[in-house]
Amino acid sequence: MRYYETLYLLKPNLTDEDYQDTVNKFNNLIDQYKGVRIKVDEWGKKTLAYEVKKFSKGFYILVHYCGEPEINDKLNRAFKLDDKVLKYQTIKLSDNANLEELKPKEDEGAEIIDSENKEQVILNQEADNGV
Amino acid sequence: MAFNQSKNSFKRTYHRRKICKFCADSSLVIDYKEVKTLLYFTTERGKITPCRISGTCAKHQRRLAQAIKRARKMALLPYTNV
Repeated sequence: MRYYETLYLLKPNLTDEDYQDTVNKFNNLIDQYKGVRIKVDEWGKKTLAYEVKKFSKGFYILVHYCGEPEINDKLNRAFKLDDKVLKYQTIKLSDNANLEELKPKEDEGAEIIDSENKEQVILNQEADNGV
Repeated sequence: MAFNQSKNSFKRTYHRRKICKFCADSSLVIDYKEVKTLLYFTTERGKITPCRISGTCAKHQRRLAQAIKRARKMALLPYTNV
């Protein structure tokens, strides 16, 4: 397994739904190609250093993931075909990724999600009781 | 001769050895996403400052150049600033 880092830039004129859809689409693609997502970091809307296709702003998204070398070709093709993507760049961080070392971060993330879910469940229960 | 010698010694006193920032401070990491540190090593025009001016060692200058070029590609840094 290799450890990769991809930074991609989306058009600034996307609606919230479109933006979420595209981010989810690429996240799902990584899963589909047997990659393991380590973290997804959304930087939000940022001003660009120079204009890209007449846009002076854009959404940056940083994804860390592990996978086999073929995953890159497939992902790059998907980036190329999607016209919402202005720019993309993948960098190899290490040849032999140690998933066990990287996993604790995943677990923390999972725990946070779990606790959020629990809160939501509690809130829902309260709402039910209220009704 | 005497004049020449004095001139040379004068020049020598001017010479100050520069220290590589990345060697001195190990907490500084060269990363194309950290635009603030990269900006320090570019000129107003957006060019990469040569190591003879910034004082970075050859090893770190190579990595810096790579990082700046990657940042430029992703529109984090400008190719040119007029």
